[in-house]
This record gives sequence, structure tokens and C-alpha cells, in this order.
Amino acid sequence: MSPAPVLVVGGGPAGLAAAAHLAAVGHAVDLVELRPALGGAYHRRPIPGVTPRPIGAESETRWARLVAGIDHPAIRVRLRTGFLGIDGAGCALLDDRTAGRVEAARPAAVVVATGALERVRPRPGWELPGVTTAGGLQVMMKETGRIPEGRILLAGSGPLLVALAGQMIAAGRPPIAVVETGDPLRRPLAGFGLLPHPARLVEALGHLGRIVAAGVPWLRATALETIAAEGDALRVELRDRRERRRTLFADHVALHDGIRPNDRGFPEPSVSAADRPFVAHAGDCREVLGVAAAEIDGARVGAEVAAILAGTSTTASKALARLAAERRVQAVLTRLFAPAIPPTPIAALPRETVLCRCEGRSVGDLAELLDGSDAPGGREIKLSGRFAMGVCQGRFCAHWVAEAAATLRPEATAPTAGDLIGRRWPARPVSIDAVIASADRSDTSPSPER
Amino acid sequence: MSAKTFPWNGVPIAFRDGETIAAALANAGVRTLGRDPAGRVARYFCGIGACQNCLVRVDGRVVEACLTPAVEGVPVESAGEPTEAAP
Ligand SMILES: Cc1cc2nc3c(=O)[nH]c(=O)nc-3n(C[C@H](O)[C@H](O)[C@H](O)COP(=O)(O)OP(=O)(O)OC[C@H]3O[C@@H](n4cnc5c(N)ncnc54)[C@H](O)[C@@H]3O)c2cc1C
Ligand code: FES
Repeated sequence: MSPAPVLVVGGGPAGLAAAAHLAAVGHAVDLVELRPALGGAYHRRPIPGVTPRPIGAESETRWARLVAGIDHPAIRVRLRTGFLGIDGAGCALLDDRTAGRVEAARPAAVVVATGALERVRPRPGWELPGVTTAGGLQVMMKETGRIPEGRILLAGSGPLLVALAGQMIAAGRPPIAVVETGDPLRRPLAGFGLLPHPARLVEALGHLGRIVAAGVPWLRATALETIAAEGDALRVELRDRRERRRTLFADHVALHDGIRPNDRGFPEPSVSAADRPFVAHAGDCREVLGVAAAEIDGARVGAEVAAILAGTSTTASKALARLAAERRVQAVLTRLFAPAIPPTPIAALPRETVLCRCEGRSVGDLAELLDGSDAPGGREIKLSGRFAMGVCQGRFCAHWVAEAAATLRPEATAPTAGDLIGRRWPARPVSIDAVIASADRSDTSPSPER
Repeated sequence: MSAKTFPWNGVPIAFRDGETIAAALANAGVRTLGRDPAGRVARYFCGIGACQNCLVRVDGRVVEACLTPAVEGVPVESAGEPTEAAP
């Protein structure tokens, strides 16, 4: 038993499972969650008075098990509290939004279980009001039980679009269409890969069945090229594999091009067991393997951290085998949804296309910056070009800026998204007031970003 | 149920307990949240506090509308200069 508590960051299945495991073997746990409620991306809870949407028996059981697991006196749950990172003195900095101040804690270990972030490819008009991520639309649906009024178009790629369409249809508000760059029906052989995973197959077929029955067009091998405001509506241009174009009008467009770990800006996993605080990543922020895997991985990492703090070791072969099975499911999905129409390279997008949503920096701005013989490297792209410098800290542009820089300056060493974002704290913007409020409570002085 | 409200740039917006400012504004048909501190049009995008595109001012503090629960009577304003396209 260690005197200092373990800090678990993120109230999704990975964080809850890790916290439950650590508490069960005698550790005090501080579980911090940015939002006002636990749940995470998949198990997002509705506000009081709203009935949760049915998610299937397997998922209902999982959630009940996760909630029961953290019902332990050694676990302190702190909602509306964001983890900012670990400072030079080894203190974990926490932004308590309810109290309005930043705190410094000295945990023995930190489990980062911050889930996944959506990938959204830049397209002309993706910065307009009314254009959200598919996940952003899902947050509204799950938390409020309401779907925004008006015509909703889902576009991009991946199984989430199909799932979201299925959920909207079940709620009586079908989208006007689902635009998908892949063509899963052209790859039936890949689909056989799901046969050993009947639960996933049933879930997928359920959503697809609803889409067909509701007559929602599933426009496969089709790319959403541009969005423009026209009156109160959004005018959307599509292009398919045979270069056929069509125009749709919608009130909302929800974009989604897959998900990736939400690990940027957070401290990296410890390589030495002697590190204090010992840092481990769990769930989708370590590897995107979906909700079932997140619970397994959380428990696995909880056990690993407990063993490290006790100076012993664990074998997790059973958990690793189950994670490997989930990895095979993800591989099948990736193959099914492989692009059937190649995406427009970022550097080839119209010059006015916004790359940095925070400050409005465009493809043209980047091309200008990189023009000439003494074009800047990664750090200067950030500092003088102000790419990945905005308040989101590059979370939605760094990847694309890196891709475009590689195309525009093939002879130079291309910066990586990681170069552009960096791993320095604070991992999230923090209000200056909150830092000042904390100033006389700690010996740390975080550099505020906002 | 008599609706609770908060003033958005002075206009009362109804909300339900536990609802975020972003959800209440979306339900009221407000999707342009004025200017953010960088002078861009603030708007809802990711819903999870990652994109920082939905910044508004509550009690003088700049916060994400998508992470912050609405509180009865607590005013919410655009974080930067208001746009003409008010609600
Ligand atoms: C939009 C979207 C839809 C998805 N749909 C599915 C699906 O249908 N099926 C499926 O299997 N998987 C889905 N996933 C993948 C999903 O990430 C996992 O299934 C599952 O939710 C992962 O669990 P987790 O515990 O790793 O992360 P999450 O459940 O995402 O939980 C992470 C938590 O960490 C919190 N957090 C983030 N940063 C901080 C911080 N700095 N401080 C404090 N707290 C923080 C977040 O608010 C969140 O509550 C989806 C992901 C996204 C983004
Ligand atoms: S909508 Fe992205 S931070 Fe609020």
C-alpha cells in the first residue's frame, strides 16, 4: 500500500476499470474527469430526467460493472477537473473548474485514460457554424436526448457514421444522407473477418438494416468536397468515384474521418519502473481498440501500476490475448472502410481552405510560408507561421499541417504532428484567473495559455 | 416544469438541469456564439473540450461552452466582440 494516491485521468471505461482495480488492491485513487459526468465517449450519460438510449445488453452490463467497481471508499471522484500535465518538479497539475483554481498534487503514479479524438479532414467550409464533428453531434444526442432541428448530413468515413445514423433513425430523426469515402459493400471478403465476433457483426448489421429500412441514402465511394453557407443553409458539394458531382443542402453537417489516441500534450508513459510519478496510458489514448478493449486495458494497466508501486511484476497474458482479438476487429473495420476514392491531398486543397480552425490560417498561408529556399522547419512553422499555435494546441490541424509541409517541401525533413504540438504542459488551456487563484497554494507557476 | 434560464448576451435562454451552455444554446437555435478571444466566430464543433472553438465568457472567465453546465441566472456572453448575427 502506498501513502500517495494514484491519479487516474479520465472517467471512461479505461479510467473506471483502472481506478477500480487499484482501489481493490489497497491504493487510494483520485479519479479526475473534465466533464460534469462520468462515462466517456461511448458510455456518455444523459442529463437528469432524460432516458438513456438503449445500447444493447453487453454494453448495459459493462456500464453497470464499471459503476459498481468505483463504488469504493478509497476512490475519490472529482468531476469538472482537468489534468494539465506534470510540471518540472513532478507535480500533477489539476484544473478544478468548480473551485476555479489550479492545484498541484503529488501522486505516486498517473494513469492517463483520456480516450480518443476524432480525425476530421480539412475541407473548404469545415470551419463554418453548423458544421460539427460526428462525435460532437453524438454528445448532444446522448446528453440531452435531443437531435438539433433541421436537415442533418453525416459525411467522412468510418463505422461511427453508420452507428450514428442508426441511432438517429432509432430516435425518429434520420439524417438526409450518409456520405462515405470507403465502399464496405465492395469488400465482402473483408467483412468475413467479423464472423468470429458475432456481437460486433450483429451490431453493425442492425445499424445497416435501419439505414436501408429508413431509405437513408448511404453514398459510398463518395467524398464531401466543399461546404458553403447559402442563406441559413449549408450547400454541400459531393464527388463520387466516377467523378459524378452532386449538390445537397443541409442545416447541419457532421464530419468524421476516424479516431486516434488523445495522447498529445500529455506526459509520455514511463520507461523506468523507478519513475515517480510513474506514468502509464490506458484505453483508447494508448491504442484505439474500442470500448470493450478500453475496460480490459484499464484493468490491465491498473494491475501493472499496482505491481510497479509494490516493486513486483504482473503477467497479463489473458488481457493481452483479449486485446489482440479486439485489434483484429479494428483491422477488419479499417479494411472495410478503406478509401474507395482517394482523399484530396491537403496541399492540393483550394488555397483559402482553413487548416488552423483556431486562428483561421489557411493552406495558402502555409504554402507562402514554405515558399523559397530558406523555408522554415517544424518549430518555425509553429512560431512564425502560427500553425498549431492556437488555443486547441494543434489537436485539429497539426497532423494536416505536417502532411502538407511534407508535400510542399519534399526535400526538407518534414515536421511531425508531435513536433508541432509538443509534449509540454499545460496539456489544456487554463484560465489565468485559475492560475492566480492557485498561486499562493502551491510553489508552481504554470504558464497560462489563455 | 417552469424553465430555468440564463442570459446569453442579455437574452434569456431556457435550459434543463445538467445541460451544458452549448446544448442549451443549440436547442434555442443559437449556433454563432459571437467572436472568440482570437476574433474568430465562436461555434460548437467537437463537443468534448478539445477544439476550443466554443469559447464563451461566464462570470468574466473564458470557458468552453461544451464543458460548462448552465446555471440559473448566471450570465453568459461572447468571449470577444459580439457579431451582428446575434440570436
Ligand atoms: C465520437 C466517438 C464515438 C465513438 N463511438 C464508439 C463506438 O460506437 N463503439 C466503440 O467501441 N468505440 C467508440 N468510440 C471509441 C471510444 O473512444 C471507446 O470505445 C471508449 O469510449 C474508450 O474508452 P476510454 O476510457 O479509453 O476513453 P473515453 O471513454 O473517451 O473516456 C475518456 C475520458 O477522459 C476525459 N478527459 C479527456 N481529457 C481529460 C483531461 N485532460 N483531464 C480530465 N479528463 C479528461 C474525457 O472527458 C472522457 O470522459 C468512439 C469514440 C469517439 C471519439
Ligand atoms: S466544441 Fe470543441 S471545445 Fe467545445
